[in-house]
Amino acid sequence: MNTKHIMKEYDYLKPSGLDEALQILSEKEKVKIYAGGTDLIVKLKMETVPDMDYMMDINGIEELKQVEYTDEGVRIGANRKLWDIETDQRMTSLFPALTDAVKAMAAISVRNLASIGGNFCNASPVADAVGPVMCYGGTLEIASARGVRKVPAKDFFLAPGVTVLEKDEMLTGIFIPTPKGDVGHAFTKMARTKSDIAKLSLCVALARDGGRIGHIAMSMGAVAARPLFLEEISAGLAGKEMSESLAMETGEAVSGFLQPIDDNRTTAVYRKDVTKTMVADALALAWARSGGA
Amino acid sequence: MTQVSEGSYIGQNVPRSDGHAKVTGAMVYPSDVIVPGMMYGALLRSPYPHAEILSVDTTEAEKMGAVCLTYKDIEPIKYNERSVSIPAATYRDRTVLPDKARHFGEPLMAVAADTQELAYRAVRAIKVEYKVLPAVFEPEEAMKDGAPQLYDKIYLGDEEVAVHNNIGVIRNISEGDCEAGFAKADRIFQESFELGRIYHNQMETKCAVVKPEPDGSITVWATAQSIHANRQLLGRVLGMPLSRINVIKLPFGGAFGSSIQVNTVTPICAYLALKAGRPVKLVSAREEDFYSHQKYPAKFTVKMGVTNDGLITAAHVTALVDFGAHQVQPLPFLGCTAGWFASLYKYEGNIRFDGTAVYTNKTPCCAMQGYGNPQINFAIESMIDIISNEMGFSPVDLRLKNYRGVGDEFWGQGPTIRSIIKSCGVEQSLVEGRQMTDFDHRERPDTKTGDVRRGLGLARGFHCSGTGGPKEGEVIDYSSALVKINEDGSVDLLTPVTDHGGGTWDALRKICAEVLQVPLDLVGLSPAGTMQIGYDVCTHATRGVYCGGAAVYHVAMKVKEKLLEVAGRLMAEHAYNLEVVRSDGLHQGVVQVKDFPAKSMTIGDIAKQAQNMSWGTIAYTDSYRQRNCPPCFTTHFVEVEVDMRTGVITVPKVLIFGDCGNPMNPDLVKGQLVGSFNRGFGYTVFEQLPTNEATGELANKGLLVDYKTPSAMEMPPIKDVEVILCDTYEPTGPFGAKGIGEAALASVQAAISNAVYNAIGIRFHKLPLTPEAVLAAIREREAQSAGATPS
Repeated sequence: MNTKHIMKEYDYLKPSGLDEALQILSEKEKVKIYAGGTDLIVKLKMETVPDMDYMMDINGIEELKQVEYTDEGVRIGANRKLWDIETDQRMTSLFPALTDAVKAMAAISVRNLASIGGNFCNASPVADAVGPVMCYGGTLEIASARGVRKVPAKDFFLAPGVTVLEKDEMLTGIFIPTPKGDVGHAFTKMARTKSDIAKLSLCVALARDGGRIGHIAMSMGAVAARPLFLEEISAGLAGKEMSESLAMETGEAVSGFLQPIDDNRTTAVYRKDVTKTMVADALALAWARSGGA
Repeated sequence: MTQVSEGSYIGQNVPRSDGHAKVTGAMVYPSDVIVPGMMYGALLRSPYPHAEILSVDTTEAEKMGAVCLTYKDIEPIKYNERSVSIPAATYRDRTVLPDKARHFGEPLMAVAADTQELAYRAVRAIKVEYKVLPAVFEPEEAMKDGAPQLYDKIYLGDEEVAVHNNIGVIRNISEGDCEAGFAKADRIFQESFELGRIYHNQMETKCAVVKPEPDGSITVWATAQSIHANRQLLGRVLGMPLSRINVIKLPFGGAFGSSIQVNTVTPICAYLALKAGRPVKLVSAREEDFYSHQKYPAKFTVKMGVTNDGLITAAHVTALVDFGAHQVQPLPFLGCTAGWFASLYKYEGNIRFDGTAVYTNKTPCCAMQGYGNPQINFAIESMIDIISNEMGFSPVDLRLKNYRGVGDEFWGQGPTIRSIIKSCGVEQSLVEGRQMTDFDHRERPDTKTGDVRRGLGLARGFHCSGTGGPKEGEVIDYSSALVKINEDGSVDLLTPVTDHGGGTWDALRKICAEVLQVPLDLVGLSPAGTMQIGYDVCTHATRGVYCGGAAVYHVAMKVKEKLLEVAGRLMAEHAYNLEVVRSDGLHQGVVQVKDFPAKSMTIGDIAKQAQNMSWGTIAYTDSYRQRNCPPCFTTHFVEVEVDMRTGVITVPKVLIFGDCGNPMNPDLVKGQLVGSFNRGFGYTVFEQLPTNEATGELANKGLLVDYKTPSAMEMPPIKDVEVILCDTYEPTGPFGAKGIGEAALASVQAAISNAVYNAIGIRFHKLPLTPEAVLAAIREREAQSAGATPS
């Protein structure tokens, strides 16, 4: 390994439009997409990208960088840069868990380059922006020369580094529906230092129904082989009266459910232990933000 | 040395003369050096922690146009990369390239090619056949009979010595009567402490550029804390007269002690350049640099005896150190560790130190800001806190009662370098700090409740200023300088002293300007190489200003003497009746008749007149040894917050006292103290370098992404970082100055750990205090108290 040079040889392609990009994907083998490069270039230097003959730079495709708001929600182009998302006031007011997650990622210089789509397609179990999109019920728009399909964000990931994307497909946009009702959201993260990869991340998005939890979605990062959408535990909370003890019980339940591993960032024991506090705190925070007492 | 004049630059905040060039990127560091026709080097590093090289085939690499270098190309001269000790106190165990790999990442072969990329490709084309040998990573394992042996024999000076059970150095030191001291004590305390390896993480990775010159000499630009150490080692391994080797002094991107020794890459680069017959540049990648040098780890057992009235009557320390695959001088390391221990407190003169340093198949360890001092300080200053808590003493009073201060002997740099303390800021630090933090009204840990608990802790430390002393010891210490007065009254200062970034060069300019009373901007710092200027041992041991500055002071005083003599001839006055004063109006130094300033000449006029008369240049060069080794003291009062649910430690507030004597540039001193607090916070809470014992590789693979250090975001808010410089004046220092650099780190670790104890009542004996370690300790205590309480 040598972080001074990319030892691999490859051809560089820069399509100017989406159709051209999709054509390249359908015609050529072993194409990797370059958006911000904050994962790809690192992996190339570390020589963990075995199959790449072409690097396709999508930064010439304007439509992939756009953001569009409607009454139904927001559509974020897959190559929208993290910095443009976190500094978007409308995004912050509608989807605070997402902008909080983005702000908690890396250093500003990295966020200037990195795209939200890249955070998905890199398919790291640690990806911070993924949890909020899953919890908000986001949908991913996937295109190929064959057409467009939509996949719920929670179903996008198969394994570390592996997604449902076929070899001729690319992620083009992320749609997030506008939350309705008395909603409250929280994103929290534990890391070794401020601009670090998560030891643990957690997202809660709930809608309050008086003193009871209406709809709720929770997700965690860095605790499983892929970003973890806590579907069953979340479903079990719907309709329950919110209380401090419910928050703590939920923390215990989530912690008990997890089977994390030891890695360079922390230990399995620590992950399970701190999850209890993180879940209880985030639940209480989201509840308070929804206007709940 | 004399007092400063009125309006002196010394003690004033003067903008750094190199600041603009550094922040704009204009400054040339070793890795910026480009020489026409230059090739680029790359290293083949060992993929195993322990292996014999059975065969090497460089044919493919050579076909690519690379020049290849293996152990077969080099003279197998044994050396130690570090040469600040005298030869008789230096173990030698390595060659420029080895025929056996002794740690993962050890450079085994080298190539040079027209581009760096080609060089890295050529490295991959070298075919090596290894016989992989069993490896050993822990010192306790390494010392067992039957453990894999790294060496059969090494050299001490010129004497061959056998290595048994991987034990590299044993150093036992005893003074007074420990048995009697412990017998006199009312209580005996014994505790063990452990500090792991960390990485220097200096901004610029190790680099060398070597250029063969047409006359057969070589010019060298390298990351170097000592240009002369580089020259002498190159002369030895290349078999070249020193007069053919010019190592050029350059600013470099920090070192923290990791370039006291000649960097491993430098002789390799020189061999490559000579084999290629072309200039070669060899720059380490960061992930290579991690395998170049690390801080010494240490395991201590500390025993102390204390009387009921708080007198420490004896202390016994045992130390076990794993120094890795080569000796970069664990012998003086153990001597210094003993010295820091012995010089912190009086112990009634009864001390014993038993130190053992052991080879393992890990990266060689070297000095890192303190040379054993932060390690042993953590142990001793934790002990003082433990004793205070157990026996109900004030931690301030226990320290005041037992510390070594003015009139006491200090031998931080080991038992052969002893001098008497003449200036000391300990009392001021402890007494003022106690008041400012309301230390005596700290709450006890068992009264604290809640999820986030705050604690206040204290530790004190020091470092030496240089390694000089009344008698010569095991460590070489002197410096040189050349000062000449130009014909316009400006001054050229030539010094071999390197500047790590702490502002040493500006301090030396200030000393020269102060002696000759010329405006600071008229003192130019000349480029210096080993061919141009006399020896300086190294900018290490916090000696740049105190020792390097003393040489400048000494030479400038000689120049002043000559100046007054020449002026006397021109002005028809006796030299002893003349004085120099700085005239800011004339922007010149002025020689005037004492008490009759109307009769005067500018230094420029004097020098020009002397030239017109063909009297010669007013200049002088000499070497100078400091005959003392004054400690510079620090004290840290740290407030921490510990989150009981996550184990996360934060530092909301810190008060730092620094005693550097008369500060050359107070803001730079404060900057070093704040920066070093950050480093110590990293050492205490974040940094560790575990080895993957299956492969011998670092767990982080040498990648910074998995080696976390605290950034500005983790530091306390700047308004809550207070630094106070003690009002002291070191009579043996240039204009009252001592050092500060390494002292700035010494007591950070113990202060944080003591504050954590005050917050949560848990004593940590092992660094780092990661959230994982803290939370595990909290849970363990909960389990114990649950077990102890019937439910």
